[in-house]
This record gives sequence, C-alpha cells and structure tokens, in this order.
Amino acid sequence: MAITGLLRLSVAAAIGLSIVMSMSLNHALAGPPDEPRVVDLEGMGRTIGKKGGSLSILMSKPKDIRMMVIYSGARLVSYNDSFELAPDILKSVDVEENRIFTFHIRPGHKWSDGHAFTSEDFRYYWEDVANNSELSQGGLDNKLLVNGKGPKFEVIDELTVRYTWEEPNPLFLTSLAGARPLYVYKPAHFMKQFHPAHQEAEKLAAMVAEANVRNWVSLHTRRGRQYRPENPEMPTLQPWMNTTQPPSERFVFKRNPNFHRVDTNGTQLPYIDEIIMNMSSSSIIPAKTGGGESDLQARYIRFDNYAFLKKSSENHDYKVVLWQNGRGSQMTILPNMNVKDDAWRKVLQDVRVRRALSLGINRAEINEIIYFGLAREAGNSVLPSSPLYKDEHAFAYAEHDPDAANALLDEAGLGERNDDGFRLLPDGRVMEVTVESAGESTEETDVLQLIAEHWAELGIKLFTKPSQRDILRRRISNGETVMSVWFGLNRGLATAVMDPEELAPVSPLQGNWPTWGRYYETKGVAGEKPTLPEVTRLSELYKSWRSAKTEEEQAKIWDEMLTIFTDQVFTIGIVNGTLQPVVINTALQNVPEEGIWAFEPTAYFGHYLPDTFWLDR
Amino acid sequence: MIPTLLLSSAVIFFIIELPPGDYFESYIADLTAAGESVDQKRIDYLKQEYGFDRPVYERYFVWLTGMLQGDFGYSFEHERPVTEVVGGRLYLTILVSFVTIIVTWLIAFPIGIYSATHQYSWGDYGLTFVGLLGLATPNFLLALVMMYLANVWFGTSIGHLMDLKYLDQPMSWPKFWSIMEHLIIPVIVIGTSGTAAMIRRIRANLLDELEKQYVITAKAKGVPPRKALMKYPLRMSLNFFVAEIGSILPAIVSGAEIVAIVLSLETTGPLLIAALQSQDMYLAGSFLMFLAFLTVIGVLLSDIALAFLDPRIRLQGKASK
Repeated sequence: MAITGLLRLSVAAAIGLSIVMSMSLNHALAGPPDEPRVVDLEGMGRTIGKKGGSLSILMSKPKDIRMMVIYSGARLVSYNDSFELAPDILKSVDVEENRIFTFHIRPGHKWSDGHAFTSEDFRYYWEDVANNSELSQGGLDNKLLVNGKGPKFEVIDELTVRYTWEEPNPLFLTSLAGARPLYVYKPAHFMKQFHPAHQEAEKLAAMVAEANVRNWVSLHTRRGRQYRPENPEMPTLQPWMNTTQPPSERFVFKRNPNFHRVDTNGTQLPYIDEIIMNMSSSSIIPAKTGGGESDLQARYIRFDNYAFLKKSSENHDYKVVLWQNGRGSQMTILPNMNVKDDAWRKVLQDVRVRRALSLGINRAEINEIIYFGLAREAGNSVLPSSPLYKDEHAFAYAEHDPDAANALLDEAGLGERNDDGFRLLPDGRVMEVTVESAGESTEETDVLQLIAEHWAELGIKLFTKPSQRDILRRRISNGETVMSVWFGLNRGLATAVMDPEELAPVSPLQGNWPTWGRYYETKGVAGEKPTLPEVTRLSELYKSWRSAKTEEEQAKIWDEMLTIFTDQVFTIGIVNGTLQPVVINTALQNVPEEGIWAFEPTAYFGHYLPDTFWLDR
Repeated sequence: MIPTLLLSSAVIFFIIELPPGDYFESYIADLTAAGESVDQKRIDYLKQEYGFDRPVYERYFVWLTGMLQGDFGYSFEHERPVTEVVGGRLYLTILVSFVTIIVTWLIAFPIGIYSATHQYSWGDYGLTFVGLLGLATPNFLLALVMMYLANVWFGTSIGHLMDLKYLDQPMSWPKFWSIMEHLIIPVIVIGTSGTAAMIRRIRANLLDELEKQYVITAKAKGVPPRKALMKYPLRMSLNFFVAEIGSILPAIVSGAEIVAIVLSLETTGPLLIAALQSQDMYLAGSFLMFLAFLTVIGVLLSDIALAFLDPRIRLQGKASK
C-alpha cells in the first residue's frame, strides 16, 4: 500500500510538473480575457479555493465524453441562480424586441490554444458551416428558424455580431444556454484547414485519404465536434480540454489556460488542474464509487444504492448528499390518444377516463413503498422551485379517490362489467390494458405492479410489458401502444423563457399523442391534425410562445398550457422530487449540499459551476 | 471450410439485421432518454453517410467483400474502424483466457487423475463436491462476491484488469503488478466452472481406460502402478482433451463475456455484447465472423493433432481410402 501511495504521488507530481512547464511556455499568451467573468464565490456562500489537484469521475460509454461539455457548463449565455439568462462566454448581449440579438465578445478572449476568439468564429459557422449546402444538408437548425425563415447575420466589428429575425425568436438564447447547446460558433482558425473554401484541394484530399473517411464533409464533422470533444487538437472555450485521443478507457481533461472566469481574488478558474474520466461498465459504477474510486459521482448511481454508499462512506473519504430530481415526474403513464385500436382510442380521448385513471392511483402508497416516503405525490407538472409552479397544476386529479374515479368511468359509458367485476369496453372486450415500458429499471415494474392493484379497484386490469428502449420508441411512433411509461417533464424547473414543447404535440415520440406530434414535426405532411379542441389550443399556444415578444407574455402562455395539460391529464404523473445520491470526496469543496439533478436547465453539475470546485488536500 | 464460413457470414449478418430498428434508432432512443433531442435531419444524414439507405443484400456484399480485403467495416458506436476497436483489447483478452486455461489444466489434471484412481474414496467425493460446487455457483455472483471481498480485505480496486491510472499507460513493473493483482479474480471465477467440467471428463475417460483388459494385464505383469497409469491409459483418455482444443481457440479471443461485464474487464467480451445491444452491426458482425473463423481453424487444428497423437484415428483414415 505504501509503495502504491508513493507511486501515485510521483505520478501526480510528474503530471503537475508537466503542466507547470507547459504553462510557463505559454505564459506570454495564456490567461483570462481582459474583462473576465468574475464569479462572486463568497456571495454564493462558497469558499475561495486554491488551484491544483486532479479529480476522478466514472463514466460508462465512450459517448459519455459529452458529459464533460454538459458538466463544464460554459455557454455563450447561461442561467444564473434564479434561472434567468445571463452572459457567460459573451461579455454582454443586447436584445431588441426578442428578434434582434447583438453579441459582444470579451476583449482578449482566447481559445484554449491561445488564438483569439472573435467575430470571425461566428462568421465561419454562419457562412461556411450553417449555410454550406454540403455541411448542413438539412438546412438551418430548427431553433434558428422562425416560420421557416432564418436570421440575417452581420459582423459589426471584430468583437460584435448581430442576428436579426423578422419575427421574435424566443428560443434563440435559451438554446444557446442549453445543456446540449446550439453552437453558433466554431474555432475558425482551426476548422479552416478542413474546409475546401480555405484549403487547397490537393491537401484536403490527402487529409481525407489519411483519415480514411468518405469526404471532406465527414472529415470536417469529425475533427470539429464541439458537443463530443473527441478531438484533442480541437481548441475549446470550456474550462477543461480533452487531451486523450479515443478510443480509450481513460480520458484526461486538462485545465484551459484561457478560460474566461476568475474568482474575486483574480485567480483564474477552473481551480482543478485535471479531470480524469475513467470508463467502467455502468453496473459496477455504484460498487466502484462505494470503494472510493470516484471523487464526484451521480451518474449511474440510483437511489436504491444510497444505503450501500452511505455504509461504505464510513471506510472511505467521501460523503453522500441527496439532490432533488429535476423531472416533472419520476415516471409518467402516457395514455395514447392516437392508438390504432379504435375502441381504446375513443375511450382514452375521453377526459373523464384519463382523470379517473389518475384519481385511481394511490400515490401515497407508492411513495411509501418504493420511495421511502421521500418523494412528492403529484401529477406531471413543474416543481415548486419553478416560478411557474401552482398547486392546482401539481395536484390536479392527483389525490386518491376511487369512488370519484368509478363514478367518472360509469359516466363515460364504461359501466358494463363482466362476471369478474371488470369493466367492458364499448366493443365488448374486457378493459385490459398493457402498459409498455423501456424495461430498464425494476422501479418502473414495481410501481406498475402497485398501480395494477389500484386500478383493479376501478375494474381495469393492468399488465406490464417491459421491452427495450428503441423497440418501445418505435412502437410509440407507430401508434401501437395503448399506454406506455416514460419519464415526466424534463424541464421540471421551467421558467417562462424555456421551451414548453413538452406540453404540446411536437414529435411522434410523445407516447400520449404520437400521430398529432408527427403532424407538427412534418408540418402537416404525415400524421393527423389534432381533433381535441384542448390539444389544438396547446398547439396554438406553443406557436404563440415561439413568437412571443416579452417574458410576461411567455409566462402567461406557459401558465395556460400547464393548466390545460394538467386539467386534461394528458399524462399521468405519479411522484416527483425523488432523490438522487451525489457522492463527493470529502476534500472536494464548493459542491452544493442541495441541488437539482436534471439535464435541463441545470445541465447536471454544469449549473453549479464545477470550475469553482476545488480540492483541499 | 469455406462454404461453412460463407454460410455463417450470411447467418450472422441477417440475424443481426433481424431485430427492428438499427444503430441510429437505438442512438436516438439513448439520447432522448437522457432528455436530449436529436435532429431527424442529422440522423438521415448519418444513415446516408454509412450507406444505410441501401438495401440489405447490397450492404451484405459490401461487408463481405470488404472482409476479404481485410476491411472489417466501421463501428458506429466508437466511430472507428472495427479492427482498431477490437485490436486494442485483444492482448489483454488473450492474457486472461490463456492464464485461465493453464490454471484450469493445472488444477483439473491432478484432481481428475486422483479421482479416477481412487474412485469412490473420500478424496474422490470431497474433490468432486468442491468441483461441482464451482460448476453450480453462478459465475457472475461469484465474481461480485469475490470482488467485494477483495476490495474490503486487500483494497484491490473493483473491477477492471488494472488500477485505472495505468490504463493507456505503457507497460511498466507497477502496471504489471497491478494487472497480476486484478487477474486473480477473473481467473478463479472463469476457471471454477471449467475446472469442474474438466475434472469430471478426465475422471470418466480415465475410468473407461482403467477398466480395460490391457491395464489389468499390465498390473498383473507387475508394471509399476505409476507407469501402468501414465504409459497408456492416461494417453488414451486424452483424446477428448485434444478434441477440445478446437473450441478453446475462439474462447481465448472472446473471453468469458458475462464475467467480463460484471468485472468490467477491458476484454473483447463486453465490447461484443455492447455492440449487439446497440446494434452496432459491423462491429458485432465482424467480431462474430472472426470467432467463426477461429472455430473452424481450431477444429481443423485439433483434427490434425488427434491424427498425429492417436495412431488409431490415423489408420482409420487410411483404411477408408
């Protein structure tokens, strides 16, 4: 043990030395922008840290390398503590009428390789990537289109660019702040070598041949991925940059010497020198974490690992805290109003049936048995910490009232029962419903088992059918599922500026209205036009949100959408606010004890500024 | 041989094609579950880029002719040629399998011979019991238990074939020791079931031989017991063992998949399973094809070895001509 300890030490020292050396070489160039973003740590209740150290985390798949971009959380604009948009990479943004956006870049801001970050990087993306017919074969990203029209792009000067739409585009800034952000810039100085407009044809052909790819488009795409930082040569603006060429079981991310944030003492962030991402199979990640092999872990750990982790923390230098899950509902039953089965389709389009199904669930029992009573028994809506929260949304038809439910079902013309007391569909079949799940966790099947008992009291038989994610997805989009189980709203912490798409039919993957969703996605080419007036209203509201001029207007639309969505029980939420264990090395400072674990809007750790985390060793 | 391989290539390709959906569908499903959205345009572009817009048989022939030229296709999941993906893991896989097989033999042979010569003795029962226990315990469970105990008692890091810090580092003494330390559990776990089966087979084959008249004659003539055992009966009973070498070859390369997944070993097994799950079809297909090839070669080799070792087999071959 002593020997391995010593070795670890010397390895760390060697790495440290090499960083110091590379830093001193770049000294003339490296450093934050002239006007950095100053993070007021003490104001946030955190401590000012010291630089250095290395942090290990565990991931499972090579694709997980994108987690570093999500966790890093540097965006052109990002959400502040109260989930309002604030400039981050950009020095400032001027917004006029929600349709003219002027970006001001920080003077002296440099890419991780030391090259200046300027309006040229935006121009390159706009002219040479987004509007290049080969690189962007499908045209502009949907978020850049308003009524099918893109913006006018202008370079004002070296540090200023402007996007102008004819109509408001409230989605623009929100998309830039996303956990998976919309990228509107690329490191032009680096990418130009892969672009025929800036590179000699022969040289490019040689590079394509050497990389063994089909053509320059594929070369450009592969070398220039921003969301999946696989190319160690690609400069970045994130706090840490990848230094490992895949495939690898271990990715090392080194600090970006030109990162744009500093603490109040003027020390450049990030504090931590390197982040090591080790790949393990997801099933043993809880065990490895319990063995003290990760310094910061929440992904691939579930609430049922909590007891084990807590116990093992006695022997290892870590603590376990519980964050709140940020989804609108831990799991949701989606009654398919577009199912191919005629009888079921009519029944499920009846709001009384959906309300009855929700009223028939004993959420308290589920909470007690599966979630140790720690979850919130509510429908699928936003969480109390969201400014859009209202009790009447959260608890609409969420209490357990079998009598009312039975009355509603009788009223809906489902009063006929067979000898066993089960209700009959209008066409005479017994009301047997198969709820399909992605079959990934036993939690879903356990909860459904309990719901089966609750619904039996309503005279409805429930069967569970776990399949596989992609098969379920395919069945949903074909309208074959009567009911399915999926996660609740991703944006449980929504604010008015966030996209309310989940409340309206927008995609054939929405299990409650796939055909109506397809209608929207294909702009009316395929699918069917919504027939329920409430759904039509949701579509209209969503459309008006997409062209809203002010935040007040957006908030009003969100509110109305939530009211319709929850009152009509388009999805049946069970519980929310379940807990996510987060394992933190005791030496790691500034990780909040309380947080929201969600992809949007907190980008998992990204919102909590991991660049300010530091190691007290 | 060649028709066998051609047939297996067709079977492999079409079975992988059978389940609904393809890699891109599972890719989207994976992303949407994490709350991310995927642009359908982008997926269409990818499908076109990887030739998924072409019919199945055409893709099959492209794959087949590619393989003949040493191009095993492209892994979508890893975005790298299949040879690179598999190649990196091949050495460790061979190491684990090889050590396991040697250890299995080292344990199984003495026990098998002892059991046969001391049939129905306490030693026979005792060792057989231990062996069967090894056979009956589910490997993955044993792996989990041992992993946990090794972590608690010896502080060995959980899973993998070395401490994580040595991954992607050049070979050095500390790395070598780390590998040795981590090798113990997989070898024991994968070895236990193999050992039990091997013991039983040696025992049964040897018993058959020991009952034959020539052994009795030899003993009656006063041949020393050790020689009476080693000279003929043991050699005769080894035929099954040589015949088995054929199936060892693919096993060495594939490693024990389930155990490797539980232990998160950097071997090829988990790679194959993951490829099948995500329908990363060229990786899975080429890998299975490689295993089929090795099986065919292995069978050929063991046939040759059998003929070489056992004059009876050789003579039969001649007689039939």
